Amino acid sequence: MNRNLWKSTIRVLKWVFLLFFFAVALLPLLWLLVTSFKTEAEFTKFPLQLPHLWQIQNYIDAVHIAKMHILFINSIIIASSATIFNLLITSMAAFAISREEFRLKNSISNILVAGVLVPIVAFMVPYLALIKNLGLYNTRMALVITYAAINIPISFFLIRSFMTSIPKELEEAAIMDGCSFPQRYTKIILPLSRAGLVTSGTLTFIWAWNEFIYALLLTSSSRVRTIQLGISFFSTQFRSNYPAMYAAIVLTMIPSILVYVFFHDKIISGLTAGAVKG
Amino acid sequence: MKKSLILSIAIVVLALIVTGPLVANGQKEAAAQKEVTLNWPCIWVGEDAKASAVADIVAQFNAKYEGKIKVVIEEMPSYDVYDKKILAQISGGTVPDIFTLKWTPDTRDLYDSDILVDFTKDLAAGWGDSFDKSVLNEVTLNSQTKTIPFEIAITPIWYNKTLFEKAGIQGFPKTYPEFWDAAAKLKAIGITPTSQMTGGANAWTSMLWYSHIMASIGGPDVWDKPLSDPIFVQGAEILKKLYSDGNTTKDAIGGGPAIPSGHYLAERTAIFCNGPWFIGNIRKNAPEVYKVTELTSAPAVPGGKSGAQVGFIQTLLASGATKDPAKREAAVTFLKYMTLPENVKRISIESGALLAPKFTFSANDKVDPLQVKFVEAQKNASFIVSHFAGKFSASVVQEFGPALDKLALGKATPQEFVQMLQDANN
Amino acid sequence: MNKKTSNARWILLFLLPIVLLYTAFFIYPFGFVFFSSLNKWNGISHMKFVGLQNYVNLAMSTTFQLSIRNNIIWALSLGFLQVGFASVIAFILARKPRFWKGLRTVYFIPKVISGVAIAMLWKAVYNAEFGALNAILTFLTGHTWNVNWLGEFNSALPAIIAQEVMYIGYFMIIILAGVMAIPRSYYEAAEIDGASVLQQELHITLPVVWGTIVTSMTLAMAYGLRHFEATFLMTGGGPGHSTSTLAIMMYNKIGARKLGQASALGTVLVIIGFIVIVTLNSTLGRKSLTGEDT
Repeated sequence: MNRNLWKSTIRVLKWVFLLFFFAVALLPLLWLLVTSFKTEAEFTKFPLQLPHLWQIQNYIDAVHIAKMHILFINSIIIASSATIFNLLITSMAAFAISREEFRLKNSISNILVAGVLVPIVAFMVPYLALIKNLGLYNTRMALVITYAAINIPISFFLIRSFMTSIPKELEEAAIMDGCSFPQRYTKIILPLSRAGLVTSGTLTFIWAWNEFIYALLLTSSSRVRTIQLGISFFSTQFRSNYPAMYAAIVLTMIPSILVYVFFHDKIISGLTAGAVKG
Repeated sequence: MKKSLILSIAIVVLALIVTGPLVANGQKEAAAQKEVTLNWPCIWVGEDAKASAVADIVAQFNAKYEGKIKVVIEEMPSYDVYDKKILAQISGGTVPDIFTLKWTPDTRDLYDSDILVDFTKDLAAGWGDSFDKSVLNEVTLNSQTKTIPFEIAITPIWYNKTLFEKAGIQGFPKTYPEFWDAAAKLKAIGITPTSQMTGGANAWTSMLWYSHIMASIGGPDVWDKPLSDPIFVQGAEILKKLYSDGNTTKDAIGGGPAIPSGHYLAERTAIFCNGPWFIGNIRKNAPEVYKVTELTSAPAVPGGKSGAQVGFIQTLLASGATKDPAKREAAVTFLKYMTLPENVKRISIESGALLAPKFTFSANDKVDPLQVKFVEAQKNASFIVSHFAGKFSASVVQEFGPALDKLALGKATPQEFVQMLQDANN
Repeated sequence: MNKKTSNARWILLFLLPIVLLYTAFFIYPFGFVFFSSLNKWNGISHMKFVGLQNYVNLAMSTTFQLSIRNNIIWALSLGFLQVGFASVIAFILARKPRFWKGLRTVYFIPKVISGVAIAMLWKAVYNAEFGALNAILTFLTGHTWNVNWLGEFNSALPAIIAQEVMYIGYFMIIILAGVMAIPRSYYEAAEIDGASVLQQELHITLPVVWGTIVTSMTLAMAYGLRHFEATFLMTGGGPGHSTSTLAIMMYNKIGARKLGQASALGTVLVIIGFIVIVTLNSTLGRKSLTGEDT
């Protein structure tokens, strides 16, 4: 009897906990959606009320004013190239560092991870100089390489921690079978650490998708610019049209959510089965 | 084997994506030869009120000088990042061909180094007649003029005539004792008297109020006095009163620009302070308030001057120095074109902004009635002083908001408020 | 022998790209920042060497001391509270309760929404005149609340931290990925032994994903130390600098064209963070994976 009471208390607590965070997480989404159907006047005067009349003009403005389609394609190219590039170099490094013994490996590792702390705004002057010297100013490549680089610390950190947790025996067996160094990387370690890869890939993609300051600093024409700059068109020197901006944000969120739901979720869900085999 | 094959393909594809279109795309701009290209990182884009007029004028200019000069607008949709990008470019040694800046004491640093085109001779050769002498004098340091005044601002006190009538107030109070009486009457009918804010980059609305107060206390030369002068404490006492006894909304402390304007538009407050750029916003979002808004000068402090206005040069045009005479010439040609009376007039009418180069409205021009009131406020002013933010270094201006927080919350006396500003100077 | 040298070559080759890129995008800029921190520089005129003067000025500034204190509070709140909540949620979700897929997606969504929109939402919630929080509290307690949550010295910092701590999606997905990778067989064995759910979580899940949790805590603390966005958007460091952080101070110094001082702040930030990362890794991090030393 007592045990049952205990069990149902836990159950209730569990759901209270889950639903509380659910509500908190859902709030911004509702706020965005509701506001995006308001007029600017309604929003300015009564930010928290429901719209008097639900109107879709903001969405029309968003697509029209911000030239969203070009920027959208640029964002997709830039964010996905940066993610692939970032995963490739960080996974190679994480593999070498987590699975091999050599001098300096801990120092290299610590230095790479310390990059997490760097306040990126401090780097505006050197980054602009670097990109100009590489001849990449106002190219998509400038953003790809910058985004891939800025996310090195986080991705390396995550992927390394996943790779470290793979049992040594698996690899030893492979070495016995005559697997070479790169084969161990591609055949054993990469597949086993895909939870880490997709997690850091998802985070890098979303970061790159949302990045604003460097997108503005390192480019000058809308041919190579990203969607976030389109959103900022609604905010000018003296005035911000937030409902239209929110409509643009709603539209631009969709790819990030898709990446999360279809890419990350699918792979993570498939893990349990994979892990049993391992 | 299969996996490494896939991996190799992935690498090759990546390499192609990365090196091919990505690099090629942005580099086309250097293609056309002979023609001088001027890059203009520009904030007047997107939904900005000046955007379409500026874009049209640039297009006309490019058509007129086809094959000789081409002005390329680099859209800079964030005002906040704009200053930082320009600074990063200057630090890196590549000053933009054309750019805009604000007039503050820090602008001296730009004059002191050889990074801007010096327009002194061009202005002396006739171009200078397009401007008021006093305006040009203000941007001339050591007899050099390296920036062209473009947008000017006047920031009078705005008030809602209907709410004043409802509260039984006859006209806008001329002195502070009358002002506090009027405030009490507004509170009696449930209206918060003034819109204020301590947040944002420089506590904008309240910083303007402080400038009005200081103009009345200190007269036309108020900003020539050092912060140690007791008049600044005297001004802070009035500012503190504006934040006490429900004279402003509670959320003014920490509030950004949306707070004071939102309250004024929703008729929760009756008095506001801002420049002509706000006309478009109020006309669209609160037409009923727009119709009953009147402009005035701030009340006079006891024994102080009355009828002063706060006005200043809002935006200047500048051009990065270059060794190429053709490029310098092209930049001057373009800036002259921008300041032509018909172009200036067009931008002014479309955006509601007041501009520095001389021009006159004709009877046929559809000038906004509120904009006309701004021009009148400027004409009727007994004298005009700059705003606080235009006369002190960025460090002091940044401290204004935090110091005002403390003043308003009772954590700092007016003396301590001024002391905080002084300390920020170091 | 041969194998060893060929391995060494491979290691070198695998590390080469990251070393190049990291040098270009972290070490060179950091070197530049450190160098400029020893100078008086407005970004326009030439730098003027002043030695440690910028650091001395900082150490004496009360805003700097306040910012350090705030950054520590941020780091501890994110490291323990946010990661703690994220871990519990991840543990529960890994057991696939009803609606778990939907819940998981919703938890993550705030991470996808721009910080600007989230900050504006909370500004409206915390507003003194029309805010939702005061309305809810008035409704619940029966007497009138009109607290200016973001504009009072006592409440501003907790208010910003509270909204940030509640967004657990980021660390939830990191930890969830670790928990989901644990083989079912571990739990099946424990169930046969009659272990309760709580016991299973405590004795199987927690030890196995401990390394991931430490990773998350380290990251969270790093984010706490370099915290900028929410504070910048919600209070800008106010009222009266009371919510300032090192990164906010640095941003203001850049705005005031005091690039030497801004760089000094950047340098201090990296040094403090480096100490925290190394300490965390060498204390908590040792016990990753079923207590084994890795």
